[in-house]
Amino acid sequence: MKTWQRSLVAAFALLALFGGAAYAQAPGAPPVEFPYTGNRTAVWVVAQLHILFAGFILGAPIFVVISEWLGYRKQDPRYDRLAKEVTKVTVILYSMTALTGGLFIFVLLATYPQFTTWLINHFYLLFAVIYPLLFISETILLYMYFYTWDAWKGEKKARHIALGVLLNLIGTITLFVIDGPTSFMNTPVKAEGISPQEFLATASLWDKIFNYSWMPLNLHRLVGNVTFGGFVAGLIAAYMFMGAKKDEERAYYDWMGFVGNLIGVGALLFLPFMGYLLAYELCDYDASICPYMMADQLSMFFEMQGAMIGLIFLASNYYIWLSMKRIEGVEKVRMTILAPVVMVLLPLVMTKVLTDYPVPDPTSLAFLLPMLLAPFTIGRFIPLTVSASTVIKVGFLMVVVGDAIWLTPHGFVPTGAKLVAELELPSDWNFLALMPAKNSAAFTLVFVTVVNYVIYNRAISQGTIVWGKIDFVSQFVLIFLAFSAIWTMGLMGAVRSLLRKYYHTYNLLPDFTAESFTPTLSYSAWWITGITVVFYAVVSFAILVTLRPSDSKGHA
Amino acid sequence: MGNVIKKLVIGLVVGGALVGFTRAFEFPVIFQMMFFAYAMLGAVVFMILDAPAVKPMSGIKSVAVLVVFYIVLCTVYISGASMWPQYDPEDEKGKIEKILKPKRAATEQGKADELIARAKALDEQVKVLSARLKDLGGDQATKDQAAGGPGAPPATTGAASGDFMKLGEEQWQLQECYNCHKLKGEGGKKRGPELDNIASYLSVDEIKQKILDPKSFMAEGFEKEYEKGKMPDKYKDLMEEKDVVALASWLGTFKNTSVATPKPIKKK
Repeated sequence: MKTWQRSLVAAFALLALFGGAAYAQAPGAPPVEFPYTGNRTAVWVVAQLHILFAGFILGAPIFVVISEWLGYRKQDPRYDRLAKEVTKVTVILYSMTALTGGLFIFVLLATYPQFTTWLINHFYLLFAVIYPLLFISETILLYMYFYTWDAWKGEKKARHIALGVLLNLIGTITLFVIDGPTSFMNTPVKAEGISPQEFLATASLWDKIFNYSWMPLNLHRLVGNVTFGGFVAGLIAAYMFMGAKKDEERAYYDWMGFVGNLIGVGALLFLPFMGYLLAYELCDYDASICPYMMADQLSMFFEMQGAMIGLIFLASNYYIWLSMKRIEGVEKVRMTILAPVVMVLLPLVMTKVLTDYPVPDPTSLAFLLPMLLAPFTIGRFIPLTVSASTVIKVGFLMVVVGDAIWLTPHGFVPTGAKLVAELELPSDWNFLALMPAKNSAAFTLVFVTVVNYVIYNRAISQGTIVWGKIDFVSQFVLIFLAFSAIWTMGLMGAVRSLLRKYYHTYNLLPDFTAESFTPTLSYSAWWITGITVVFYAVVSFAILVTLRPSDSKGHA
Repeated sequence: MGNVIKKLVIGLVVGGALVGFTRAFEFPVIFQMMFFAYAMLGAVVFMILDAPAVKPMSGIKSVAVLVVFYIVLCTVYISGASMWPQYDPEDEKGKIEKILKPKRAATEQGKADELIARAKALDEQVKVLSARLKDLGGDQATKDQAAGGPGAPPATTGAASGDFMKLGEEQWQLQECYNCHKLKGEGGKKRGPELDNIASYLSVDEIKQKILDPKSFMAEGFEKEYEKGKMPDKYKDLMEEKDVVALASWLGTFKNTSVATPKPIKKK
């Protein structure tokens, strides 16, 4: 896509934004009825697509600039090439973000005119001034960053990296700004003793933005975007590896896939805790949200989330396993026996400790931290060691165990109201369905992955990596990770939105339409899959049109 | 092939042991099947770990394999999500309709109020014009103008007083109190106290006060700092007065001393 075409798309998006704001001022606009999908699903599809594109264009530049800096510091051209190739794809997807953003505003205004007008009025300064200014700034900075890549080399490289940092700064502020109204819809401002309507009437713009779930959502999305960006970088590498005709190209894209996966997994490790923080704040805002999520209408959505996260952790650890296989001399790598021992004990001990000292009681750390750090602190003093292969296999076993605990429900029913003895856990084993056990399961997945990367690090320091010689199935693992990460984003996006129940803005503005009910998980899965496929098709097309021509020209 | 058979046998043995274990501890059949499935998942994972390397592919073959891979992923995710128990939206629609009905009515009432205000303004204008006409000598002033005045107050819906207790029980269901409080042996996940003996401790007015201001009473054993805000402080905004009174009155009938309802302590 040429510059003028991109500019046209960006201009269209801005026109949509301002036009939308103007249209929102027109009173009494009747809502449009979307055929087949209905209005809510139409908004869902467009919003989710927009968020996926936006997630990538905000997440990717974070590791792009880090990669560029690493390349500059280590004088390793692979990092610079990775950064530039991901930026090329980002530039194309930036246009798609703008396009879907404009479409989102139009669809929202057409389907829910009264609510949209109400929301725009409450955040008028943000929607009409702050957000467009940030959007324009980001557009200018992104294109400057991309088009000065070759010009600002050598001594000017530091200037280019600084520009990338500025781009990320503006991108992060944009994310935080737009999270204001988004989180406001879930947890609007409230104060004790005053009705939400009365408090809202006196609340400032900052009060509305700085609501209960704003910062947790910011952190969750920021980390989620980096995870997602990393996995999409892995996807780019997988496509290019599969299409590569020369050994050096395969070696480079094997390396890129590894780096993308490393970034994705590195950020993924923080994601369960960020998600937990968001859920904790939502429950703290209104305790009735908690059973709606975990025990009632959305409980099976969380079962599916557990299944997806389990698969993602299995796949990412399998990728490490495959990566280890291409290291010459890996069979000599050993690790203290404490590592697999702690892996095995972790779910049991952590469940017990967190039951006795529930979050946020810090006493639990006094028991857990020494245990978790034991392999790395006192491990070296214990003469018993096991092979890297054994540690990783025990790790896989514990990932399966961790996922089994995560997935074990209190009852096989979609709502507590339908619980009968034949579908319920025995009361003595109910602890398996409670939060301490779920947290332990999540932490086991994280701990196993960290240990596996520690082993990998030891392996590369003791052996030699043969880039390009990785098992071909690893490319499907990278594709699987990207697809599953996107699918999970769609699932959790639906959950966050559904938490508003039958309100546009929770407890403030009811949704009187016939569609204000909780859809089934099956129905949601169809749409989430559809959205993921459309997004994937666009990303795949963007990769092919941007990178294949440059691939044929070769790289320095 | 030997690898697959070996892992399969181990998976079946572990799965069988888990089924035996869960059966001994009286787990329902569905959980026994679930644990067996976990064992088989473990077996598949270990089969994949030791599987031989896949040869590189290129060209049309790699594209075809990729497309098949995507189709498999989509099918597995959709069918996987469809296999979990599905919440029936019909169970919820009736509840939502009942909860939103007064809000919708309030919205329509708001429009009606606006119309009444406009009518009043017009009425004032008519009075002013009539007075002018009278001053000008017109003796046909509208003597009966007042007939179009505000008149009687708008008819109120009037709460059905027939079965007040039933209304209270309905509010228990609509507001989903059962999600946190156990009552008559149903509901509750220990988030809030069991309420079968609440009437031994609190009067109807005090229960009403607790619903409208959750921090007015705190039950014994639920006094930790992070538990103080657990009960949502929203019912004064969400519920109508008559609904709160009905719910409090209904709860005020529960005096089952065999249930250990924790004692509420007055805080405000």
